[in-house]
Amino acid sequence: MRGYQNEDAIHRAPVRIDVEELGKSYGSFAALNNVSLTVRPGELLALLGPSGSGKTTLLRAIAGLTATEEGTIRFDGEDATTLSLRARRVGFVFQQYALFRHMTVFDNVAFGLRVRPRGERPRAGEIARRVRRLLELVQLPGLETRFPSQLSGGQRQRVALARALAIEPNVLLLDEPFGALDAKVRKELRRWLREIHTETGLTTIFVTHDQEEALELADRVVIMRDGEIEQIGTPVEIYEEPATPYVCEFLGGVARFEVTATEGEARVLGSQLPLAEADETYSGPALAYVRGHEIEIVSRDIAEGVPALVRNVRPFGPAITVELSIEGHRDRIEISVPRELFEGGEIRIGQGVFVRATSARVFPSPKADARP
Amino acid sequence: MTHAIFALPRPAPSVLPGFGLTMGLTLTWLSLIILIPLAGVFITSAGLGWTEFWRLASDARTVAALKLSFGTALIAAGLNVAFGLLVAWVLVRYSFPGKRLLDAAIDLPFALPTAVAGLAFTALYAPNGWLGSFLVPLGLKVAFTPLGIVVALVFIGLPFVVRTVQPVLADFDKELEEASATLGATRFQTIRRIVLPTLMPPLLTGFALAFARGVGEYGSVIFIAGNIPYVSEIAPLLIVIRLEEFNYAGATAVAAVMLVISFALLFVINLLQAWNRRRIGFAG
Repeated sequence: MRGYQNEDAIHRAPVRIDVEELGKSYGSFAALNNVSLTVRPGELLALLGPSGSGKTTLLRAIAGLTATEEGTIRFDGEDATTLSLRARRVGFVFQQYALFRHMTVFDNVAFGLRVRPRGERPRAGEIARRVRRLLELVQLPGLETRFPSQLSGGQRQRVALARALAIEPNVLLLDEPFGALDAKVRKELRRWLREIHTETGLTTIFVTHDQEEALELADRVVIMRDGEIEQIGTPVEIYEEPATPYVCEFLGGVARFEVTATEGEARVLGSQLPLAEADETYSGPALAYVRGHEIEIVSRDIAEGVPALVRNVRPFGPAITVELSIEGHRDRIEISVPRELFEGGEIRIGQGVFVRATSARVFPSPKADARP
Repeated sequence: MTHAIFALPRPAPSVLPGFGLTMGLTLTWLSLIILIPLAGVFITSAGLGWTEFWRLASDARTVAALKLSFGTALIAAGLNVAFGLLVAWVLVRYSFPGKRLLDAAIDLPFALPTAVAGLAFTALYAPNGWLGSFLVPLGLKVAFTPLGIVVALVFIGLPFVVRTVQPVLADFDKELEEASATLGATRFQTIRRIVLPTLMPPLLTGFALAFARGVGEYGSVIFIAGNIPYVSEIAPLLIVIRLEEFNYAGATAVAAVMLVISFALLFVINLLQAWNRRRIGFAG
């Protein structure tokens, strides 16, 4: 038993979560398909994916809110799959907060302590002390007597978090924690969640469909697709070495080129670039993904690389953003060019230039029957 | 000019125009339909003079009838709150074959002529009826007793509670129950502390409607009640009896007392509603 009475119980050893071959289907739709995952103790993990990818189902399964048909979930090696919600002690923050409208902020946060069996329930004075400490932690002191309807979205979010932390949870799970907030509050709460995570040291998982949020906030990111895990890695790994075409496209900010690979190499925008090591002998149709900063303008006159047309120039900020139409590519592509090029008069709207890729991620084309 | 003297200060133009017109129509309509007839009751009974009115109103038979009417209506409304909540819960939370049929059947007490219901109950619970033949030997007399009145009023009032609770329960956010469960609450704690407080306003409304209907119910009750003075004679029946005796003053005296008590009770229920709303942080 992790000490119920321990006053600083929030600082106990963080819990490891093992998800083993988890499966869940709704009728013929597989929401989770053989998902295995280890969440390291004290880690801040993001489940990233579009809606319908199974990320929320996975989170709810770990919480015990959704029953799964196959597989096991372990907390520190102990099988938690069949444990009741009360026994799991999971702090869960709902997307719409799910605050109890008929209770004050104080009563909301105290709820998890007051419903404990008589023997484990702290005395009223102790409950009050803990609630006040939690409200300080989430930076809402003095709002004890307010009702949820009298709070802003960001404040509700904080109350929901304080309420989840009040039960001294084994793990903290957040479903789209910033989904319902406006952009400015999101940024603020993001930094703040990171601080809370450092302070509590809890193993924390949050679900998001915003890749920027996941990469900025998490220690590791799990990218999900159609009920399966597409890639797990640190934000740097995910960004630098996306494992599949899907990850590249989901992260965004890339231009896609259909190319032909020969012996593990492909010609992308005038450069000969290698495929990943696993595909070093591959020949055939391939997909190349190039980020904006990986395209350079070679020259205006010498025919090296691929011809392109300058469509628009945004000459502010540390680098100049140039919008290009590249020959053989449908969508416009934004690239960054050094300020000197622009000031030298090289770049003007309507100007023809030659461009070249400095690097790219090249994957063998998925088979026709596979998903695009 | 006279109109300059009597002109009201012009209010600032409202975003929602038409206040004067709609308010005027509303008041006219309410006056014609409710206020003037009710005022008539008081004016007629006022013609009696205070002592005469009090003599009629405190007559032992009148008091017994009033006690019976309000007592049975309160008990029936209370029972309807408990079982109406249960019915609404089952209809909203579970799916089963015949659910839509059952759902439609809830409204039957609205549609059925109440006399038919009264006859059916009497036939069932009479000492030689289907149920009565089993219950009477057990010492449980339903027909021709106040218990029979409660049974009839429960039947009449059920749809009020079910239909007021149902939509609120259907809109109830499942995540609130899930949040409560993840915080360690048992199912019982979740229902008592999270679900029931949310259902308080519709339950109170349902109670008020069922109670009001029960106090005024006539058709179904007079068949099953047996109408024994001092025992199972309801106040509305007493009014009819006085009318048949051409004792209009006596009839209106009973009616006026009923009106005052009903209004007081409904007013208290409304205060409770307002208090409940304020308690959970909503404006008046």
